[in-house]
Amino acid sequence: MNDLTPDSAARAAKLKGLGCSRKRVEDVRFTQGKGNYVDDIKLPDMLFGDFVRSPYAHARIKSINIDAAMALPGVIAVLTAKDLEPLGLHWMPTLAGDKQMVLADGKVLFQGQEVAFVIAEDRYINADAIELVEVEYEELPVLTDANKAMDADAVVLREDLAGQTSGAHGERRHHNHIFRWEAGDEAATNEVLEAADVVVEETVYYHRTHPCPLETCGSVASMDKTTGKLTLWGTFQAPHVVRTVASLISGIEEHNIRVISPDIGGGFGNKVGVYPGYVCSIVASIVTGRPVKWVEDRMDNLMATAFARDYWMKGKISATKEGKITGLHCHVVADHGAFDACADPTKFPAGFMSICTGSYDIPTAWLGVDGVYTNKAPGGVSYRCSFRVTEAAYFIERMIEVLAIELGMDAAELRAKNFIAKDQFPYESALGWEYDSGDYHTAWTKALKAVGYDDLRAEQAERIEAFKRGETRKLLGIGLSHFTEIVGAGPVKNCDILGMGMFDSCEIRIHPTGSAVARFGTISQGQGHATTFAQILASEIGIAADSITVEEGDTDTAPYGLGTYGSRTTPVAGAAAAMAGRKIRAKAQMIAAYLLEVHDGDLEWDVDRFVVKGAPEQFKTMTEIAYASYNQAIPGLEPGLEAVSYYDPPNMTYPFGAYICVMEIDVDTGTHEIRQFYALDDCGTRINPMIIEGQIHGGLTEALAIAMGQEIAYDDIGNVKTGTLMDFFLPTAWETPTYTTDFTETPSPHHPIGAKGVGESPNVGGVPAFSNAVHDAFRPFGLKQAHMPHDHWRVWKIANDLGLHTQG
Amino acid sequence: MELSDEIEINAPQELVYQALNDPEILRQCIPGCEELIKHSDTELEAIVVLKIGPVKARFSGNVTLDTAGAPDGFSLSGQGNGGKAGHAKGGADVTLENKGDVTVLRYTAKAEIGGKLAQLGSRLIAGTAKRLAAKFFKKFADIVGTVDA
Repeated sequence: MNDLTPDSAARAAKLKGLGCSRKRVEDVRFTQGKGNYVDDIKLPDMLFGDFVRSPYAHARIKSINIDAAMALPGVIAVLTAKDLEPLGLHWMPTLAGDKQMVLADGKVLFQGQEVAFVIAEDRYINADAIELVEVEYEELPVLTDANKAMDADAVVLREDLAGQTSGAHGERRHHNHIFRWEAGDEAATNEVLEAADVVVEETVYYHRTHPCPLETCGSVASMDKTTGKLTLWGTFQAPHVVRTVASLISGIEEHNIRVISPDIGGGFGNKVGVYPGYVCSIVASIVTGRPVKWVEDRMDNLMATAFARDYWMKGKISATKEGKITGLHCHVVADHGAFDACADPTKFPAGFMSICTGSYDIPTAWLGVDGVYTNKAPGGVSYRCSFRVTEAAYFIERMIEVLAIELGMDAAELRAKNFIAKDQFPYESALGWEYDSGDYHTAWTKALKAVGYDDLRAEQAERIEAFKRGETRKLLGIGLSHFTEIVGAGPVKNCDILGMGMFDSCEIRIHPTGSAVARFGTISQGQGHATTFAQILASEIGIAADSITVEEGDTDTAPYGLGTYGSRTTPVAGAAAAMAGRKIRAKAQMIAAYLLEVHDGDLEWDVDRFVVKGAPEQFKTMTEIAYASYNQAIPGLEPGLEAVSYYDPPNMTYPFGAYICVMEIDVDTGTHEIRQFYALDDCGTRINPMIIEGQIHGGLTEALAIAMGQEIAYDDIGNVKTGTLMDFFLPTAWETPTYTTDFTETPSPHHPIGAKGVGESPNVGGVPAFSNAVHDAFRPFGLKQAHMPHDHWRVWKIANDLGLHTQG
Repeated sequence: MELSDEIEINAPQELVYQALNDPEILRQCIPGCEELIKHSDTELEAIVVLKIGPVKARFSGNVTLDTAGAPDGFSLSGQGNGGKAGHAKGGADVTLENKGDVTVLRYTAKAEIGGKLAQLGSRLIAGTAKRLAAKFFKKFADIVGTVDA
């Protein structure tokens, strides 16, 4: 090195590695309309497939007449369960160990269920043909209330399971029962509750909603009969898993299936599962010998593909008079719809609901979850959260609030009193998790100070007096939330999906001129992987992020991985990137030692080069090393510079955060205004602060949607009442408030770069913050619990029920 | 969904009752009715084109009458199917109060609607149903009220 050599800091900045708010490389094509989504794929001779769907929630199918549809010019075929049965494809396995009808076999179990698959020359002919398929139904009694699913006289939904007293997750106690899953010690918890100074009970309902990605689900299947190779493009959050499932159910050898996830317009959990449309497009392509496209419309997506939440959580929490929590008891009735098609790790049919002790040191706890069937769409996916973590966080953050009411204590103080202390990490929770790291008190104190918590409470007290004097009709709510996530599924020893361990992967090839391509088993749906993975690698291998191409989503080229959901990409594939990068660096060190004629141990790494210790003028840059790896015969070393890493994480990661929402509520109209929203996130090492901020804004906006209006609602006969964007709330710029983001940084001790994952934290922490703000506004008037979503009508109803409309 | 109303018709009770059982008069009065076939005194079959919000569909349905209370009233129940657009079933109780030359018709109706109609049209159904009922009785009152006049 000489005077002209930039110093380490300047060279590091040029790499745009960890901590750099690097602009998203994806955005050049997205902002110019140059993305390539499934519906953009057009192949020669491509046909279009779509479903005849059931208008009934529960009915027997007496007959299906396809004659009129087949007579329509341009219609190629109409498939029914009878056609799929000889292939064994009229049912398919779900990711949760259940099975699901691909096309209605004898009966339908939810409105919108797939009954027949019409294949036509184009979408318009297809729509006309769907109208011509005559299906004769005989209505059956409908079950939409999960709490009545296990009544003795409840109608039998799954006749195919008659006589089966056990399922994929153990004993079935009723014909509509799927599983009972437990964690913790119920007897010990009951003892603690009985002996406690204070016990409160509350039922917390987390309503059914839907991820509603802007791009709906779809696929294009193309069977090449000359090569025997099936190519399947689709909106898949887990392309490799889709390939394996497709091979298992079709019998096509896995090497003959190529699955490609192109650009995906948002997933949020909706695109993890396997849908009848995928299977039918494959079958249709095999049958017709032509490519077949299937793409949902908005109503199909909301009505039939995977929903989220729908958990009835009955809780009891106990504490000493001073407010030290002693026990937590939680029983959940989980509405899974007509088929159990959750996408959880196999051993966790209720996901990670057992994180429901939250951020608190609760010595004794028990959780029991009963999954039940109802006449609703299947699903139960993790909508922008790790498996059932947002349900868990909402539950505990509501229980803390009702406990604070009972104790007459400030809810912020009650939280601080019960946080797991910094020196307790790694912390074993009563429900069996080992929290890797955390510093809750520091984050909480910072958050309360940032919003001026004490002043807000004083203002709130004044507001209540003014309200009582008739001077205002607006109440002030302060919504608190301190959440702990559990993400990065997960260790292969206890996490798998369909037997596939939940590791993930990265493969790097360094080109002779010192740029690189890196491939991953994950797939971005908007998270910006091409930007952030390159940053992790840049810091590890000293090649500028701008010189690293990131590829994902093509199973013929990418290494096997379990995909992107549950904030697992950075904790798992991000770790694989770092580990693969370290393998590259290890080989690079040997090459550099050979070139510099020194021993490996005499070299040290300096940003983008190996330098001889004590002789900084002697060095080899990664560019030089890369070139040498291709053109020098180095004794004992293979040519080339490549590495692959399959990373099996030793533990989950536990991001956390402190959110505070300040909300004004008009008691006469039920409308709200979010005056302030402060979000402090601790996701460990921060890879790209700009992307983190964007993720938090997006996640908070989805949390706002869920808490304040979004739901999948059914009427008594199983009609989906919110099947369009007229009725299903998606916030626009108009409804979206301004957010203030902040952070603390507590690196994960077991992750190679200390990162924890962040994309889903704002949804997990945001929902309780918004909901608690509504509750807090009405708390002085006696409100304990009101179920979400807090749309204008429901908020008005709270005020009305509390008698606030007669006093004013 | 529930619907109720009362209408004064300028005709005696007997005549109103008869008209309500006359398929030709009913066909003229039911908005969008393309066909109405009377299979017996208590069984009717109808084809009606309905438009609710964005959904337009041809419904075919059966109606069964219970004439036990005639001529002071009757009840009916029925169901219709509009294919992809959805389906409906329901019933109504009708009373006819004799006030000499004038008859007061009161009805309460209940309907259960399913399928796409219920999803897309849920916010429009009640309003549309009211409007259709009003249209029916206006036309009915016009026809029946002028028979004697």
